[in-house]
Amino acid sequence: MKLTEVDLTNLDFFVHGDPHEMWTALRREAPVYWHNKGGQRGFWAVTTYNTAMEVYHDPRQYSSERGIALQFNDVATTDNAGFGMMMIATDPPRHQKIRKVISDRFTPRAVMPYEPHVRRIAREIIDSVVDRGECDFVVDVAAKLPTAVICEMMGIPREHWDTMFMLGNMSIGTEDPEYQQSRTAMETGSYAQAQFFSYFSKLIDERRKRPGDDLISALAHGLVDGVNLNDLEILFNAFLLIIGGQETTRNATSGGMLALIQNPGECARLKQNPGLLASTIEEFLRWTSPVTHILRTARQDAVLRGHKIRAGDKVVVWNASANRDEEIFKDPFKFDAGRTPNDHLAFGHGEHFCIGAHLARLELRVVIEEVMRRMGDLELAGPVEKLRSNFVAGIKHMPVRFKPTRTARVAA
Amino acid sequence: MKVVVNWDLCESNARCMEVAPEVFEVRADDRLHVLQERPPEALRAKVLNAVRLCPKQALTIVED
Repeated sequence: MKLTEVDLTNLDFFVHGDPHEMWTALRREAPVYWHNKGGQRGFWAVTTYNTAMEVYHDPRQYSSERGIALQFNDVATTDNAGFGMMMIATDPPRHQKIRKVISDRFTPRAVMPYEPHVRRIAREIIDSVVDRGECDFVVDVAAKLPTAVICEMMGIPREHWDTMFMLGNMSIGTEDPEYQQSRTAMETGSYAQAQFFSYFSKLIDERRKRPGDDLISALAHGLVDGVNLNDLEILFNAFLLIIGGQETTRNATSGGMLALIQNPGECARLKQNPGLLASTIEEFLRWTSPVTHILRTARQDAVLRGHKIRAGDKVVVWNASANRDEEIFKDPFKFDAGRTPNDHLAFGHGEHFCIGAHLARLELRVVIEEVMRRMGDLELAGPVEKLRSNFVAGIKHMPVRFKPTRTARVAA
Repeated sequence: MKVVVNWDLCESNARCMEVAPEVFEVRADDRLHVLQERPPEALRAKVLNAVRLCPKQALTIVED
């Protein structure tokens, strides 16, 4: 593809085309590129790994407090996007202080004890579809587990999980007709956020009075500089957790399983050598890069790889591109279940490194194991439908067919 | 060289332990322990890699 043809705001291309054509051209010809197309406000597109790291490692210069994604960036405000309140949109030093309220729940050791529970949920999910020998892998399996896990951690009762799933879809799929239900993108996002906030308001009141060991209770009772978070701060962070928990892992799961279906050699290799599971999980993450881009705003004039960045300029880091950087990854377009090293940026890096990274890895490990055990010879049974978004590399639907193994044999 | 940990940032991701186990250990208490605050020059490459890969960028090296 030619540079003149690149338009990273053309969402239809993310559905019907291969956005990697654009990123490959950018890495080759203009790794820090002033992107001014599609009638939207211009931004710097950062597409190589080392420059992405440079931006991520300088959160004081490249601020998160003026939005973190391209969509609605023009209209985002403190009130509707939680600047300085929601962790992902808060700069140091406050960011880390809010994060400390819940971060001990997400360390590798802290999530380890969840495994039997996550596995039980995964088995229930597969039990509910396995007899059919076919299903929509996204809606019936890949999306179900992360929703169940984050809802349990937040203390959201089971009867509300479907609502959380639906509102999560709307929050991330604002530009996708399937989730808009004839609303505009803006209306879709606002509606979903309002529904979430109204739901969480009740939960927060409840947990203030009767705290449990769930994340809502932790947010409601946590102290930052000796003071409780206010209602809006709790709401925005609950919103962040339900979205972050639901809308990312599912896409690493679906996109990763799709890669295994499309690369039967790698699938066979993993089956023969279960020791490759850990590297397969990292390759799922690199390959799918569920969060396609992250936006920052320059606080001051600066120079980035020889380019003059002006205060106020938007700088967009394309994780999906950095994760295919030819200078960093050998044969980046080869899905390699045994890839080592694999220091991908699927979780970002630095100050805002994904707080749920280890939970995501746990969910991925369990779901890959259970799917491979129970849904043998997985193959596509219809077209894969992608989300209309340049922010989340979503797969909405993925019809599959498989040979069922009905009983969940307990291996460990 | 001296290894300095920003304890406000460290979240026990344990990447440092993966690449430089001689210097870093995340123990059962889920806290990072620096085994050698002044590691020998021979470990410089490993320690630099740990600094680079730390997801939270909580490590720095101070030259003596």
